[in-house]
Amino acid sequence: MSEHNTPDTGSQIGMTGDTLLDTFPRTSLTSESDFIETIQIPEKPAETVPAGDILRPELAEPYPFDLFSHQAAALNALEDNDNVTIATSTSSGKTHIYGLQIARNLLDAGVLNADGTRATERNDASTALCVYPMKALTKDQHESLTDLYDQLGLDIRVETYDGDTTGDRRAIRNEADVILTNFAALNVYLEHHDKWSRFYSALDLVAIDESHTYTGIEGMHVAWILRRMKRVATYWGGNPQYTLTSATIGNPHAHSLELLNEPVTVIDDDGSPHGPRDIVLWNPPPRDKTRDATPDDAPFTTTDQDSETDESDTEFVAERVPASVEAPKVFNHLTSSEIRTLLFCPSRKLTELSIQRADDHRKHNTREYDLTSKPQREAYNAGLGRRTRHSREHQFKTDVLTGLATTSALELGIDIGDLDATVLMGYPGQRQSFWQRIGRAGREASHSLSVLVGDHRTLDQYIINHPEYLLENDVEDAVVDTSNNSVFATHVLCASDEIALTEDDLDTFAETDRLRAAVQMWREAGYIDGYLDAAAHYCGPSRPQTQVNLYGNNDTDYRLELAPDVDRDHWGLPDDLDLEPVEQNRAYRDYHEGAVRLQNGQQFEVVNVDEERPQPVIQLKPVDHDYYTRTQNKVNVLDADSEETRDINGFTLHFGRGTVLVHYHSYDQMYISNSEPKQQMLATETPPILMDTQLCWVEVPDDVETALVRKYQHYGLETGVDPDETGMAHLGYVAGLHAAEHATIQTAPLELRVDKNDLGGLATLVMDTHYTHNEYDEITDSISESFEAAKHALEQRTQELGGQTRSGWFIYDGVEGGLGFARAIYDNFEALCERARDQLENCQCGQPNGCPACTFDENCGNDNKPLLRQSAVDVLDQLLGDADREDLSEHLPDDDYGGNRRPVVFYS
Amino acid sequence: MPNDQSLELLSLPSQALTRLSQSAVQDTIQYFEPDLITIPGPRDAAAYAQVRDAAPDVFVIHPQLGRSGEHITHYRYSTDTGVREASNTTSEPGMIDVLAVQNLDILTRLQSELETNTRDTGSRAATFLILPQLSIEWNTTSLSTTLPEQDQLTAISNCLPEPVTVLAGEQPAEYNHEWTVQSTQSSDTLLIVGLGAHNQGSATVAQYSCTSRGTVAAEAVDASKFGLKALHGVGASTAQRLQQKECRTTQDVRNLSITELAELPGIGPTRAEKIHGHADVIESGEPLVLTNKTPIKTRGNQPPVCLDIETDGLSPTIIWQFGVYDPASDTHQAFIEKHDPKNPETVLEAFITWFIANHGNRTVLTWNGYGFDYPQIKQFLTQYCPEYLDAWDDVWTYDLYKWAVRDGNALLPGRTNKLDHVARALGYEAAGTGLTGAKTAAVYQEFMRNPDDPEREPDWERHKQYCKDDCQALWHVYQAITDAKRRDMTDSGTGGVNGQQAGLTDF
Repeated sequence: MSEHNTPDTGSQIGMTGDTLLDTFPRTSLTSESDFIETIQIPEKPAETVPAGDILRPELAEPYPFDLFSHQAAALNALEDNDNVTIATSTSSGKTHIYGLQIARNLLDAGVLNADGTRATERNDASTALCVYPMKALTKDQHESLTDLYDQLGLDIRVETYDGDTTGDRRAIRNEADVILTNFAALNVYLEHHDKWSRFYSALDLVAIDESHTYTGIEGMHVAWILRRMKRVATYWGGNPQYTLTSATIGNPHAHSLELLNEPVTVIDDDGSPHGPRDIVLWNPPPRDKTRDATPDDAPFTTTDQDSETDESDTEFVAERVPASVEAPKVFNHLTSSEIRTLLFCPSRKLTELSIQRADDHRKHNTREYDLTSKPQREAYNAGLGRRTRHSREHQFKTDVLTGLATTSALELGIDIGDLDATVLMGYPGQRQSFWQRIGRAGREASHSLSVLVGDHRTLDQYIINHPEYLLENDVEDAVVDTSNNSVFATHVLCASDEIALTEDDLDTFAETDRLRAAVQMWREAGYIDGYLDAAAHYCGPSRPQTQVNLYGNNDTDYRLELAPDVDRDHWGLPDDLDLEPVEQNRAYRDYHEGAVRLQNGQQFEVVNVDEERPQPVIQLKPVDHDYYTRTQNKVNVLDADSEETRDINGFTLHFGRGTVLVHYHSYDQMYISNSEPKQQMLATETPPILMDTQLCWVEVPDDVETALVRKYQHYGLETGVDPDETGMAHLGYVAGLHAAEHATIQTAPLELRVDKNDLGGLATLVMDTHYTHNEYDEITDSISESFEAAKHALEQRTQELGGQTRSGWFIYDGVEGGLGFARAIYDNFEALCERARDQLENCQCGQPNGCPACTFDENCGNDNKPLLRQSAVDVLDQLLGDADREDLSEHLPDDDYGGNRRPVVFYS
Repeated sequence: MPNDQSLELLSLPSQALTRLSQSAVQDTIQYFEPDLITIPGPRDAAAYAQVRDAAPDVFVIHPQLGRSGEHITHYRYSTDTGVREASNTTSEPGMIDVLAVQNLDILTRLQSELETNTRDTGSRAATFLILPQLSIEWNTTSLSTTLPEQDQLTAISNCLPEPVTVLAGEQPAEYNHEWTVQSTQSSDTLLIVGLGAHNQGSATVAQYSCTSRGTVAAEAVDASKFGLKALHGVGASTAQRLQQKECRTTQDVRNLSITELAELPGIGPTRAEKIHGHADVIESGEPLVLTNKTPIKTRGNQPPVCLDIETDGLSPTIIWQFGVYDPASDTHQAFIEKHDPKNPETVLEAFITWFIANHGNRTVLTWNGYGFDYPQIKQFLTQYCPEYLDAWDDVWTYDLYKWAVRDGNALLPGRTNKLDHVARALGYEAAGTGLTGAKTAAVYQEFMRNPDDPEREPDWERHKQYCKDDCQALWHVYQAITDAKRRDMTDSGTGGVNGQQAGLTDF
């Protein structure tokens, strides 16, 4: 976003999609291959308005560009005192919108003279706060704003104020016109707002950059930090206007409203140009597992061409070469051809592995690549620490590096210079994120290339089978939810510490009943003194702001450090590992004792987890293993309480709250070479986690259940279970529910900006036993986090309920208090089910129980068993009303069917 | 009801005891001089033995142990008799009762004993009920709190005519909350006070003044302020080395020569001198100034005026009292908002105009003013009387706490850095208003909620006296510091690595 509207330098063609397919070293690969799809996106010209039509002459004359139409519209709305959200593409000049508004404010307030010089040394009249999601972006935008004001000849004091600021902080607070920071820092600075009285009393504009990134937990915290900031500004007499800049999202208005709690005008008619662009949707070739190298023979080589079969040989494809193996080859090919390329990887670990795999691909294709001049490529991820990251950004920008294998960290507008191509290892989960990554390649009129290397899993195969999905206009909704009480309660403490809470805060800071309940709770708990009708003051341990964790919901993060007996010199490790802390749920999943993680190119094994201190610590030891680890979990839902229901063709859909019991009980060691298991079911020895969270669930009507149980009563081994687990009449049906549960979770990101790793599900034949009942105590009260006790309690409840129960499946938010995802799924359930049904029906795997591209879920607690595609399709067809209820009548029994006793089974 | 009879109950949580050497436990008991001791939290026989050994003459309540099948412990207290076991005394109406149960299940039995009068309590003085394992639970997802056994506790409270106060073992020492217990028939209140055996944060010990009216005032002190570790510059390892040299108390350290101290590993002559100096300060109750700096610059040969403010809480909505003591004329001036607690401007303006007109040329002294009073005054001036900001900025302001403690210019007696503790250790005799900063804020908050209810109007004279007392205590501490022995450590102790130079033996 730092540069825009630069004069046309002419189309410099890097590499087109056709050239890539022609030159890539694989004979079976041509642009006609039916697993390759190329989308050509034509050049789009700019829509502009002369700057003089919008801006006053002092600004219009020195401003070197015309304004894009969306910039003009936004500046007009800001002039009218509206809050504005600008949702347009990458590098469409969004920074200049708030940059110019700040300039107008300073001229209006008389801080600047018309000639751009300062009218007063002191600025008590107009200030602006700009907040960015990451420090690296702050640094970038600081330069961008400074450049703008230099160009305009305006003497505006732009200062960055965050954890890295070393200079005279007091001078910045007292003198800056514009302060740039991030939300984690702002959260902390609000405590000493009296030191910021000048700044807040004059606050005219708050710019929130990349606002679409504030979803889930982080979104909730940001929404509350903004509400706290508004209290502070109001206290000092400031009344700021808000400017949000966002990537294209489906619900910019609702999302901004939830973040700000203020009305907002949305500008999303993008007037910026882009050059021609080829997008190659690249499905890796099928893989023949029987020809895999055994792990012992080749522990570190990547699966290579010898294990790939020709597409035409097989009618059904049950497995393909994983994107994590295929994408590094494309990355190697492009960078070896001196194409400046970013490879986007889904995990830190894969950024490291990809560099290794790209090098392997190069070595194995000696005829294609000149081995004397090796392209410089490095990994880039947040785990590397700030110093390494900055250095690699700089090296890429200055052409020392030709390729970076990165996580989503470089998806946002960090300036790493121009680049020609992007390779995506797997579909990133969201259309918005897909376009953001694609948009990193190519600037203005130049030709750019992007390659999506699909994985063999639901979302990716859906995209590759339905490329038109990428071009549909409606983008995913960004979900932010302020109803999580646990997050809210933390911010109530912070707010009461900053300025005592009073009745003035009712319905301005938070809803009356909710704020009263929170203040009473904290008063009784001993953290707040006083009452809202006088003043409620914080009185707990100092600095409650430090309890806010933007990236999680737990009070304490787990710190990562080296085990004490490690010989640093031997391993060449620095004193400080420079790794970021992780929250509890992730610690239990990824950092249990015995887990093996790759960090900064080095494998580490977790040797000790110490939770018996205020900040828990995870100790790591460097190792050299031929495996990585994968965690298994099991799940149960207890005491679900419905808050809202609606009917969909006889199915009942619920939204509500309940308790989810999750246990990361064991893990597998998987060979790095081929992802085959080395050892399985090793105990993690971590306790289960109980979460009070938000749920969405659906109940299948009795007649549909009865008919489908009978229709699939003879299914057994087809569902993927072991022979001794067959012979249950309900198996085929419940396998369908389980598959439908997986598919609705897997396709959720097609409609909503949710992370499917924050969602979980449970398919069950005994829905009612998972509910709260007035006549019973809550099961949670009696089981003390034991799965056996929970299962026993559910069995007993089933008996007591006397068979009066229905079947269906739950989807829950995997975070204490919930994230609003289950709520959004409740609102969009039909659309989700349609996507899920299409993928289940159209998958080419030919397997009754499906494959990773349709029914499998890597987070499944039951090892993806039992699953049945066809019965899932039947259930979803009935729900969507796409199949007639009459179609089932042939399976319904003639007389009053007693049926087999309903087994108490549930699958996550 | 007998007035102001009060029992001093010391709470020694086992987490704190594990950090204290045996001589430090003795030091703690000597410092507080309690009537009765309790060990809240989990069952801990070692902790019990530790305390019994250190205080053979004081009853120690640790019913968790269940000694000789005892599930309920019961003591009675009056000023005349001191603490006695209930089994050896007969109940008198004016006696304070202290009851403790082994665990929460015993409450049922206790209730029935009290209801059937098989167990008697003094009906005209409060009963204190110690529940060693009680903690308040809260749930941030449902925004609710749970007081375990609240029905039982209310029933016990209701069956006794006198006030009943619950001492909750696992709540922090700062916890002091009047619970409202709603039931279908009635709404009852129950005072719950924490005894400090909770797991987070630092280990504190606290003494509770339990009055016959049922109120409780706590003095909490960090456990590290007792024994050898109370000495500036003595950590765990140095304390251990000192003990190996048979040096167990601050008095022992004081008796050691600085040369001997300096010979200990890791202690140079400078540190030895400081440690020795601090032992001297604690034992003698006299402060010691460590540098050649003066705490303040006075103007016009006039002593500083001592300032203290009272607010409605830690994030104030009003500074409702300004107290200024002028030692030059021995007069005290107070500005109090007695009518309109929602309006912070009137009292602020009254104070600032009077101050600038009369004392604008004087030096102002506070205790922890840079931490609280000055930024608050500035914040309220910015909000309500910005025209006086510049004049206030011109006033010379000082903070004696910052100078002495934070900047390390002096060593003071007293186990905390609270003004009243320091002043008391320096021999200041307080007026005894029975108020604390938190209490005076709470009373004003009550007034803010019901400004028109004459029943709830604070006793203004008492609050004025409390603020005046703090100002005069500050003046007392200031005088003690200016009169104190002065040893400029920055100039000495550099004479040689072995610490043999002269000068040192002066102590």
